[in-house]
Amino acid sequence: MIKVSNLTKEFLQGQERTRVLKGVDLNIKKGEFVAIMGPSGSGKSTLLQLMGGLDVPTAGDIQIDGKYLNKMSEKERTIFRRQKLGFVFQNYQLLPTLTVEENIAFPLHADGKLTKEKSRVIQELIKAVGLEGLHRKRANLLSGGQQQRVAIARALVNSPTVLLADEPTGNLDRANAEEILRLLTVFHRENRQTIVMVTHDIFAAGFADRIILFRDGGIDQVVSREEGDYAKYLANFMA
Amino acid sequence: MLNIWRISWRNITHNKKRFFFTLFAIILGTSFITAMLVADRTTRDVFNYYTDMYVANADYWVLSDKHTYPEKMIEPVQDDPDVTNMLLVLQKQAFFELEDDHSLSQRSVRIIGVSDQNSPLLVLPVIEGSLDNKGVILPKTVATLLGKKVGDTVRFEGMGEAKVSAIVEYTQLLASPSDWDSAESTSFRVLVPLDMLREWTGKHDEISYMRFQVNGDGKDLFHSLQQQFRGSGVFIQPVVADDLQNNDISGLYTFFYIVAGLSMLVSGFIVFNTIYTSVIERKKEFAIMKSFGYTQRSVSKLVLIEIVLLSLIGTAIGVPLGIWLGDLFMQELLSMLQFDIVYTLNWRLPAIMAVIVGVLFPVLFSLFPIYHAGRTSILLTLKMASQSKGSSRPLLIRAVVGLVLLCFVFIDHSVTYAAVLAGVILLFPLLLAGLSRIIKPVLNFLFHYAGSLAAKSLFQQINRNANTAAILGIGISVILLLGAVVESAPEGYEQEIRNTYGGDMRLTSEAPWSTEDITKLRSYDGVLGVEPLMEATPITWETVDGVSRQFSVFAVSEDGPALFADQHEEKLYNRLKQQNAVLLGERAFDEWGGEIGQSIRMNTPNGEQSYEVVGVVKTSHYSGYVAFMDEERLKEEFGWTKSFDLLLTVDNEAASSIRDRVWSDFRDHLSKVQTVEDEIESTTSTISGMNELILMLLFMIIGLASIGTANTLLMNTLERVFEIGTMRALGFTKQQVRNMIIAEGLLVGLSGVIGGIAAGLILIYVTSQSELMDGFMSFKLPYSNMIMAVISGVVLSLCAAWMASQSASKIDIQSSLKEG
Repeated sequence: MIKVSNLTKEFLQGQERTRVLKGVDLNIKKGEFVAIMGPSGSGKSTLLQLMGGLDVPTAGDIQIDGKYLNKMSEKERTIFRRQKLGFVFQNYQLLPTLTVEENIAFPLHADGKLTKEKSRVIQELIKAVGLEGLHRKRANLLSGGQQQRVAIARALVNSPTVLLADEPTGNLDRANAEEILRLLTVFHRENRQTIVMVTHDIFAAGFADRIILFRDGGIDQVVSREEGDYAKYLANFMA
Repeated sequence: MLNIWRISWRNITHNKKRFFFTLFAIILGTSFITAMLVADRTTRDVFNYYTDMYVANADYWVLSDKHTYPEKMIEPVQDDPDVTNMLLVLQKQAFFELEDDHSLSQRSVRIIGVSDQNSPLLVLPVIEGSLDNKGVILPKTVATLLGKKVGDTVRFEGMGEAKVSAIVEYTQLLASPSDWDSAESTSFRVLVPLDMLREWTGKHDEISYMRFQVNGDGKDLFHSLQQQFRGSGVFIQPVVADDLQNNDISGLYTFFYIVAGLSMLVSGFIVFNTIYTSVIERKKEFAIMKSFGYTQRSVSKLVLIEIVLLSLIGTAIGVPLGIWLGDLFMQELLSMLQFDIVYTLNWRLPAIMAVIVGVLFPVLFSLFPIYHAGRTSILLTLKMASQSKGSSRPLLIRAVVGLVLLCFVFIDHSVTYAAVLAGVILLFPLLLAGLSRIIKPVLNFLFHYAGSLAAKSLFQQINRNANTAAILGIGISVILLLGAVVESAPEGYEQEIRNTYGGDMRLTSEAPWSTEDITKLRSYDGVLGVEPLMEATPITWETVDGVSRQFSVFAVSEDGPALFADQHEEKLYNRLKQQNAVLLGERAFDEWGGEIGQSIRMNTPNGEQSYEVVGVVKTSHYSGYVAFMDEERLKEEFGWTKSFDLLLTVDNEAASSIRDRVWSDFRDHLSKVQTVEDEIESTTSTISGMNELILMLLFMIIGLASIGTANTLLMNTLERVFEIGTMRALGFTKQQVRNMIIAEGLLVGLSGVIGGIAAGLILIYVTSQSELMDGFMSFKLPYSNMIMAVISGVVLSLCAAWMASQSASKIDIQSSLKEG
């Protein structure tokens, strides 16, 4: 499903080149829920952005569903992104002038594929994320938890191959964070949705099947939830 | 130590595109203002120059109501010790002898014989040759038309020939047509030595007039000569520099000021928009500054210095550019006139004035944002207290006030114009909102979902977007009104001329018409009537402030030709019959400055006299810079007894053959044949030329307003970096982002154009119905200007939108996502 080979990313900061990712290799299977954890500046968000085609690597390959993202043009990556990927951001990133329904429908509008069938899917998603009755409300008038639910529905509207979530609970309190993680888990289990989630929250990481620990631009370790006492291990790692 | 000027410089250049657009707006606004100030000064100088040239240094002149008078009549002048210089002049109508096939009227020429071509009382700017008092002097237009150079021979039918001694620049004395069409109705003029002309004509001791210069004011001599000449047909007049009789250009100066004002308004609004947005964006920065101890005044000062920097740079570039534009404008303006006029650009004082205005107007338009910056609340801003958007109440109030102001349409007053424009500005959010809904299907078709988003996103900053469209609309509406006035004016003038010309054809002779002449003319086929036209000219008079002026006085009578129009004509004719009564044309009345019932002093052939002004009338003669007197009173009290003009009423189809026959039969003394169509053409041709200037102006103002559109769209884009980044992250391509911004620009531009045309039509309607205009202007749609407004408004708005869209599509996704 997702294959990352020798992925390297460098940024130019002033006169200096900074290597943020250092030859990362990673495979994610279809239907897997993977969390990527690491301290600030470890390169995890950069990895996610590269997987989402928001940027191009300096070296290495990214394959999603057999397609090489790094070999696509900017326009091809954009179209691939809206058709095959779903994004959930830390600060929701909803469009303030649009309603809940319109925000969720945005990727379909961008693709010009808002059919009756898809409209039905949107209504179902609104129900699934628990926002029935709010579909005509302006997105920026919702609470943080509600906005993140809209973001999740938007990310799933085009039945993406992969859902990419960058710190989805970062701006939420514990109750809302749990709610969001529960939703993600439901979609993962019921629809076998492949999810890649970047987080620094041990609690959130615990919802994933596999946790990839990142440090200094590379993978330090991979931990499975089935391993005993992984939480303590993660806590030590993050410390 | 922090330098506030350096900080301000960094602040304004922080956002390069916004800095550029705002600076560009100030540069253009200042340059247009400068150009108009330069044009105003230079035009005044040009007309003053030619008037002074005509006057030269002469203080008085002695004329007569006949063609010529004996030279011995001026012996008292010649003998007076205070007279320092004299110029004797004899004039004779003749015809060029040419090889080409030109009609008699085209070949007619007034030969002016002068006693000394180098006299200080004569100003002849020589281009080629020299004033040798031996040959003929040609004005440049005549030399070009005849293909003559210095040394070539010019022949005059039945008179003689002479070599060309010099070719000179345009002067009023030698004003000549520049093409053969104009020559049909206007004579050429050339200068020869007096002796030469006397030899050709046999009028050895005769002169047409003389001019002289005196030591001191010469008033005693003047009064003495007035007495001496009384009843002789010869009279003396002060030489007065007054070009109002021949030039009605007050409208032109108004045009300059309107353009300058409009430029300042549009440019000032763009500055306001930018600075206000900048202040809103930087509220947190100001709050932090204040929390560290900056006072309200210090914060305001910082913003003020930013604006001063912008205006200084903008003025430094705009003023020289404006001087260049002013020069271009003058070339275009003067090319519309029949005569080949030269000018020297008067730019110094206008440049100083423009610098002051250029520095001040951005500051004035930014006073509110400057004040607003200083008033930033520390706590509210730092807490990021949510600003409640979305109350539609202010918009509703705005719309209601706008509608109320529009009701001024029903009030006939000059304040209506300001009220209508203000009302239109206030209604623009409504227009923008309405238009967004109406053309949403079109936007969807053209731009798909991006078009639909554009319609929604305009509402985020509805006031700013509406104001931007409004300023474009106001510019268009004012120019449309100007264009309609200019388009309508020829019709208005034509009607006025036809009503007050007095006939169909006017014949001017250098000698008074005789009864035999009139009888002969009446016998022509196609001539339905012949009436003498008595014009006493030049007659000097005084305004109420004691300033000397000069005009003509026409004789009128109830049975004579209608030379003026008034609803109380009969009453006025009766009033004129009383002693010492005169009617003034509207322009003469305005210049005089008095009121009906007061007296006006004039220097008549019978000496200085006062006349009661019994009325003001409309007339086309000398554009209203004229007076009318009862025919008998003109002869008896005034002392003018001869007619040099005849007014013919003719059968239209016979006009051309009558013209030819008249030239043939009266060639000895005929100097001019003009039909009412010639007069209409002459009056309206200059106005028609203004249409091109109006179109140019329309394009300029729309261009300036489009900078405002680009600026606004850019500000909209910068405020939505986060939003646009999200769209891109979710799969909106760069092209779709561009389409969205272009669609926004199209909406703003279209609403500006539609609102502008609607406002323009309202203003045109108001003007056409206004009693102040007195029916001069009819309600006529200025189609060409409207089409030009639509095309240029849409095209320039799209260009502006395209520029902003390029910025929007280049937004970096990652950094924009972080901004949220």
